[in-house]
Amino acid sequence: MVKIRYVPTICPYCGIGCGLNFVVKDDKIVGVEPYKRHPVNEGKLCPKGNFGYEFINREDRLTSPLIKENGEFREASWDEALDLVAKKLKEVSDEDPNKVGFYACARSPNENIYITQKLARVACGTQNIDHCARICHGPTVEGLATAFGSGAMTNGFDSIKKADVIFCIGSNSMEAHPLFGRKIIQAKQNGAKLIVADPRYTPTAKLADDYIEFKTGTDVALLNGMMKIIIDNDLQDDEFIEKRTKGYQEMKEVVMKYDIEKVSEITEASVEEITKAALDYGKADKAAIVYSLGITEHSHGVDNVMSCANLAMLTGNIGKEGAGVNPLRGQNNVQGACDMGALPSDYVGYRKVEDQETTDWFNEYYGVNLPAKNGLTLVEMMNAAYNGDLKVLYIHGEDPVLSDADIHHTKKALANLEMLIVQDLFMTDTAKCADVILPAAGWGEQEGTFTNGERRVQCLHKAQEPPKGAKLDWEIMNEIAVRMGVPKEKFSYESSEEIFDEIRECAPIFAGMNRERLDTPEALHWPCLSVDDPCQPLMHKDKFAHSHGFGLFQALEHLGPVELPDEEYPLILTTTRVLFHYHAAMTRRCETLDNEVKTGFIEINSEDAKELGIINNEIVKASSKRGEIEISARITDDIKKGIVNIPMHFSECAANMLTNSDSFDPKSKMVELKACAVKVEKIPEV
Amino acid sequence: MAIKEGDMYYAYSKNPEIKENGEYGGVVTTIMKYLLKNHIVDGVVVVEEGMDLYDAVPSLITDPEDVIRSAGSIHCGTMNLAKFISKYLDGCRDMKIALTCKPCESMTIVELIKKGKIIGDNIIMIGVNCGGTLSPIKTMQMIKEVYEIDPKNVVKEEISKGKLIIKTIDGDRKSFSIKKLEEEGKGRRENCQRCELKIPSNADIAVGNWGVVGHLAGKASFVEVFSNKGAKILEKVIKDDFIEIEKPNKEGIAIREKINKSMLELGKKSKKKLIGDLTGDIIEAFHAYEDEFSRCMKCYGCREACPLCYCDDCSLESEGPEWVPGGYTPAAPFFHLTRMVHMVDACTNCGQCSEVCPSEIDVAGLWSIVNNKVSEEYGYYSGFKTSKPIPFTQYPHKK
Repeated sequence: MVKIRYVPTICPYCGIGCGLNFVVKDDKIVGVEPYKRHPVNEGKLCPKGNFGYEFINREDRLTSPLIKENGEFREASWDEALDLVAKKLKEVSDEDPNKVGFYACARSPNENIYITQKLARVACGTQNIDHCARICHGPTVEGLATAFGSGAMTNGFDSIKKADVIFCIGSNSMEAHPLFGRKIIQAKQNGAKLIVADPRYTPTAKLADDYIEFKTGTDVALLNGMMKIIIDNDLQDDEFIEKRTKGYQEMKEVVMKYDIEKVSEITEASVEEITKAALDYGKADKAAIVYSLGITEHSHGVDNVMSCANLAMLTGNIGKEGAGVNPLRGQNNVQGACDMGALPSDYVGYRKVEDQETTDWFNEYYGVNLPAKNGLTLVEMMNAAYNGDLKVLYIHGEDPVLSDADIHHTKKALANLEMLIVQDLFMTDTAKCADVILPAAGWGEQEGTFTNGERRVQCLHKAQEPPKGAKLDWEIMNEIAVRMGVPKEKFSYESSEEIFDEIRECAPIFAGMNRERLDTPEALHWPCLSVDDPCQPLMHKDKFAHSHGFGLFQALEHLGPVELPDEEYPLILTTTRVLFHYHAAMTRRCETLDNEVKTGFIEINSEDAKELGIINNEIVKASSKRGEIEISARITDDIKKGIVNIPMHFSECAANMLTNSDSFDPKSKMVELKACAVKVEKIPEV
Repeated sequence: MAIKEGDMYYAYSKNPEIKENGEYGGVVTTIMKYLLKNHIVDGVVVVEEGMDLYDAVPSLITDPEDVIRSAGSIHCGTMNLAKFISKYLDGCRDMKIALTCKPCESMTIVELIKKGKIIGDNIIMIGVNCGGTLSPIKTMQMIKEVYEIDPKNVVKEEISKGKLIIKTIDGDRKSFSIKKLEEEGKGRRENCQRCELKIPSNADIAVGNWGVVGHLAGKASFVEVFSNKGAKILEKVIKDDFIEIEKPNKEGIAIREKINKSMLELGKKSKKKLIGDLTGDIIEAFHAYEDEFSRCMKCYGCREACPLCYCDDCSLESEGPEWVPGGYTPAAPFFHLTRMVHMVDACTNCGQCSEVCPSEIDVAGLWSIVNNKVSEEYGYYSGFKTSKPIPFTQYPHKK
């Protein structure tokens, strides 16, 4: 007789952290069914939630370690592969720990990420540990920490339902964070007014009461312009500014230079639209800002983020329900990856590397001797590899060949390494470049926790065994550490729960999270300082998270993108995501999702297409200074004239062949993935 | 003692453990255990407690000793088990099963049997009366905000005399008018509000607590037999001394009928309100809902949740021709019109589609309106056993 059980768990795609039930038939995952008891999504799912499990039991899962010899992979035993990796890591890190680097996996459970940073710091003695947040919400972590003292979303997701006005800039929630999109719909049903600012008339913009079409990369100008209108109309919250913030005058001086005509010229948005949005936002009792990568993925990403913070503080929209600054985090556990200390500047729980006392604490706890000096960021590690300064890179479940700017640059950098180690489920574009591949267990095959964008730490549940030959990430790293000579008692675990207990010891923000409280549908938000901490999602209620308690305004000028269109490359390229995919390795292996969107396309405004003589679905050539691709044209009125868009999922027509890896944000090392100059041409018939 | 179709009894379990843990005498649990123990079925499909009492999880139990796990009530069981049986148990093609079902579930099973997707001979339906179900999260919020009770302390919710009564572990009771709650968008799911079957007369046996008065009040269930299959099972269960029965008293029968009637009346009113001025014409109705459907994010959730959407090759994903272009959101209106034409005749108003919709579209509302038109035009009531042909499978006979 067949055996069937439901196993509740958390979706592995975006940062909303929806609950779902695996259906397990005879010990194998065969489907997903609604988990209606889950507080975030109440059983509702997007296409990825419904079908994103289909990759799990694919034939092409990696099931044996692979070692590259003479350009070809051969199967190897675990012993051989682990010995090889451990020996190389030991040899190079003994010589110079700065020559070793680690990318942690923001899709993976917290426990795996914690162990990745521990392997870097404890076994290799390096602070070179980072992950994809750097080119995602790195500017949020930096910008909001500067303004508010904490880099996290200020409110819980449900808070948005209480808003009077929602100002959504650079976020296409309906596609990228669909179950937050639902909460926006609910807010609208409760009477909220929705304003969407975006260069594309997205499915989210289509829900809006007011839509502002503006030029990509001009966010600071737009936000400064709105703030000037608010101040001109005396709509600022003087009491909030006086009692809870610092730096208002300096900010005001800059903002007052941005009169509406100038702003309209820079942003190419209409005076009326900007004015109306400013007045609606400024007059609202509870106004919420929602943003995502449209704000962050710029060479001035941190400025964009801090501008949003300025606008919210100016109007007193922090520390209350229905308001706040709400960055929607990308990967399912990118919040967790930051929390776990997969950052070159932070240990677990945002304890600072450059604070000598903190580093001393960790040196004693771990029994090591780390310097109190920040390591290299992800972008810097890749550049160091390119320049020959980094010798070994250990990539845990990331695919930078696809997701980093300028693929040629990335591939050259990886080829330059003495050893590239990739730990993954599938032969990704990055894995192809590896010297050693370690096959890992994936979603559904392990216990652990994910932390969603509202800081809710949620338990996963194992539903089936990993394929034979694949191992748990933390087990693999455990074995490497021990082989490298780390004393067993410093690096040995029986379960992911044991790892989480160590996390609680190291980071006060998780201290109160015992399993009994955590393994419930509601789970717990951090900060959770003690076992009786109520763990509310709303932050900065009475004072900001800075030790001095004040919110800090920043005076910011509009800078705009580094690479501007010129005669040869007259269009601006922005890169985006589609609803049906999350990057590539997993969703492109899900039959239903692949069937929806099989390959990439370039969105071109219908007037631009007409000028170029391009028709819908025609294969065109798109090029930049970095490279060129052939790609199908999707002609639409839903994108601003002069701007083209390529979804980033598809390596056969990769947006990142064109993007610019040189133009990075000095404040966060973010690369400008949302603006570079390109041209689009017809391909001549032969 | 011979039991026959149409018989009514008060019944309770003779197993002390089940009697203690089960609801109103533990009749359903006892029957399930009996069927498994005597190898009359290979498995029983029931609902169990998942993460907590608000998490209702479908379960296939094959060991009679495990049946006790499903005893007692769970709040908010809003799923449709018919889908579980057709999708994951292959419509019980190779196994005999019994299931506990609400009226919308028995209705759906009846439709799936007609369409050959569930093998009728292999399934025993133990129906339970249902006044409507509530979605877990919304309900917990309502309990907290309106009833001012910690949802964790709730042991039972009950509908009586137009009120939704919440009982706590400390024995407290609080009640609010259902009508008022539902006017504020709280309370039962909208499809439940317009439901027109409260006692599952299309199941083999229907079990409930309505009409149990006198010395057995609260200790026994009211059982009505609706099929020969049901009669035989009940006869055996009684004969083998698993269940004790008594004749129901007349007053109890009248009370049960009165509750049923007033519930059905409420359902009719809600449905009328939903339909409003619409005639049920597909184009007109879809047009009226166009704004809502323009938010569709093409998650396929409605198709996945719909127990009557079962094609192996779904035309919504067809590439030749591509009826609904892949990768575009909102999904082309044709997405929903296709689904509607394919299954609206069979829609049982179980509400799964609306409940899983991430774009807050009242899919079930629209389907209800058009399904109502099918009933009016063809006299075909989906979910009921009938000799009438399924609409649109053949032309009505004219002789």
